Amino acid sequence: MSSVAAQDHRPAAAPAAPAPPPPRRGLGRKQREWIAAGLFLAPDAIGLTLFVAIPMVLSILLSFFQVSGFGSYEWIGLGNYERMMNDPLFWDSMKVTGLYVVILVPVLFCVSLGLGLLVKQKLPGMGAYRTALFLPYVVSLVVVGVLWKFLLDEQVGAVNRAMRAIGLEGESWLGDPTLALGCVIAVMVWVMMGYYMIIFLAGLQEIPKEYYEAAKIDGAGPWTTFRTITWPLLRPTSFFVLLMSTVAAITGGLDLIFVLTNGGPANGTSLAIFYIYQQAFGFGEYGYASAMGSFLVLIMVLCSAVIFKLTRGGRFDDGE
Amino acid sequence: MLQHGNDAGHPAPTRRRFLTALAGAGVATAASGLLSGCGTAQAKDGPLQFWNFYGPQRSPDPAVNAQSKWFVDMVDKWNSTHKTKIELVYLPQPTYLNGFKLPSAFATGQGPDIFLLSPGDFLRYYNGGVLADLTPHMDKEAVADFGTALDSRTVDGKVYALPMEVEPLSMFYAVDAWEKAGLSEADIPTTWDQMLDIGDKLRTKTRAGLVFETNPGYYQNFTWYPWMWQGGGDVLDKQGNVAFDSPATRQALQFWQDSVRHGITPRTLPAAGDVISAFKAGNVAMWQQGIWQVSSFKAYAPDYRYGVFKLPAPEGGEYTTALGGWSFCANAQGRNPDAAAEFCAWALGSMSDDSIDRMVDWCTRAKSDVAPRATALERGAAKGGYDSEAMKKFKDEVFPGGRAEPRYPPVVYKAISDAIQGTMLAGRGVASETERAAESIAAYAKSYQGASLI
Repeated sequence: MSSVAAQDHRPAAAPAAPAPPPPRRGLGRKQREWIAAGLFLAPDAIGLTLFVAIPMVLSILLSFFQVSGFGSYEWIGLGNYERMMNDPLFWDSMKVTGLYVVILVPVLFCVSLGLGLLVKQKLPGMGAYRTALFLPYVVSLVVVGVLWKFLLDEQVGAVNRAMRAIGLEGESWLGDPTLALGCVIAVMVWVMMGYYMIIFLAGLQEIPKEYYEAAKIDGAGPWTTFRTITWPLLRPTSFFVLLMSTVAAITGGLDLIFVLTNGGPANGTSLAIFYIYQQAFGFGEYGYASAMGSFLVLIMVLCSAVIFKLTRGGRFDDGE
Repeated sequence: MLQHGNDAGHPAPTRRRFLTALAGAGVATAASGLLSGCGTAQAKDGPLQFWNFYGPQRSPDPAVNAQSKWFVDMVDKWNSTHKTKIELVYLPQPTYLNGFKLPSAFATGQGPDIFLLSPGDFLRYYNGGVLADLTPHMDKEAVADFGTALDSRTVDGKVYALPMEVEPLSMFYAVDAWEKAGLSEADIPTTWDQMLDIGDKLRTKTRAGLVFETNPGYYQNFTWYPWMWQGGGDVLDKQGNVAFDSPATRQALQFWQDSVRHGITPRTLPAAGDVISAFKAGNVAMWQQGIWQVSSFKAYAPDYRYGVFKLPAPEGGEYTTALGGWSFCANAQGRNPDAAAEFCAWALGSMSDDSIDRMVDWCTRAKSDVAPRATALERGAAKGGYDSEAMKKFKDEVFPGGRAEPRYPPVVYKAISDAIQGTMLAGRGVASETERAAESIAAYAKSYQGASLI
């Protein structure tokens, strides 16, 4: 017994455990996903680094040099920035840019939203209308500039002919400093409205129909429906349009200005971006142009920050 | 087991392997792109490049084709007789004048070996050290043959650019409009006031009476200078001191401002600046233009009746006009500056018949210009190149007394341009704009370092 007992006190033999799985070869699933994500992002990241980040850093560095335009560089520290602060033409161009942005962005916003609401209607041939309104956006700005230069010609342009036909005096649309900037803005709205109309249309179609049906049952009129349903639910789209059109207004439009007015009359349409281009490629002042360009980027970042703050980044409410 | 065996020998395609291969291919492609991007656009031992805005190109305009052919023939001739070869690189004129290709090329040390340069850009390029001295490749006789045409292309007696043409400014007018208004040749104005009166008489709602350049730029300054010079004014005096703030400057600015204010001169160019179309459509009566329009009329409107008269002068003033024109330059930092300079001298600045005839051909057949060399002008005249009424007038009346386009650098140009634009189109005070521009030029001249501004 004792021997049995002794045998009983021996630890029982462990049941035969299943054979451990063979060690996995290579990487785990998470690691593989990280690598895949990295590879998918790589082309964009490389492109942005090569064509945006590195040039941006080089441009900022360049702004600390006096550059001859023929290969010689001389370190002048903040010299270009000092020059910028004392350059009345630069500040004039900033004023023109400010006016341009302050008028263009709201007008473009309202026109695009209005068109978005119109083309949302289900009417025969609406596809053709949408296409027609979008078409100016796909035309080169140079072509647009030439086209409008002829339309706005003060002697034989279609606009003045139409005005004379109804007994009005024609105007020098592009030759009068008080009118030229307005014309540039009008042309830019004409070009861009189709693009933002489509963005708004997409936003409008995201709003559930049930809300409108409920509002109709409750007897809400069109204005009340727009104010209480459409406008609040369009907030993310509105934020996007506001941000993108502001950035485009600050940094774009160079080709149009070049063809339409060449910055004139009397610097009346000399936007900051045009003045920077002129200094760099017209006068070979690459260092100075880089300083002004860096300053303009700073202004753009500040404007974007303000828009983010005011619209809470397009979110419906805090934290969402 | 079989499967394992297969794995070892011939790996099956998996997502990981696919992505790895894709990444490898991507890196290889990117690397090759990057490496090629780091290289020069042209082989170091390739032909020298001559950037220009004439040719080779094909155009429906016979005048443009003739100009392109002139360039092609010239380079072919050089290539057939010289070891160092040259290749023409055509850039459309707007790109050449206002684009970023040429300035970017120079900024990155990739500037063309040979290129065309306007007087307005001369100092910037000279001070940048990219203009090769052409003098060693020219005979003294040839330098003398150019005479004053080299003044604005010379520094310390050395020639850095060779003009291919001289382009004087005058007034072009529509003969039919003139006659319909009961005017005759006897009414051709000789003073500013007379010209304003006639412009006022000829203008209608769809026809501008008198057109001056309205777009800001070097060209507008070029067209405005003679009006200032006629009253004895200047930007800098002969000692290089700032002389812009003068009664003559104010008078010239006032003249252009008055012509716009009274509606005689439009604020924008008729037909978006297309001179021939504007004349043909009856949208303009008089337009300040250059000799190059003679060949344009010949090509596009050979039957159109136009006339030319020299710029009127102010009361008590003296006639003068501005003489423009482009030059051949060699890049001192190019691959073979000696050969490039030799080419420029061979093409335009040699005493050989070939060189002189080439200039005659350019100025009287391919284009319509005054030849910058005395021998070429004589030879061109002898061949009948200046027999037409318009060309004869340019050669005998408009060109004599003319003055070369100044070579002011950008800051000076911009100050003058702003004064012209501010007074002409924004209606600002002539005195205040003149003062402001003079101050700006003076501040620049004080710190300016480089070749003489005059």
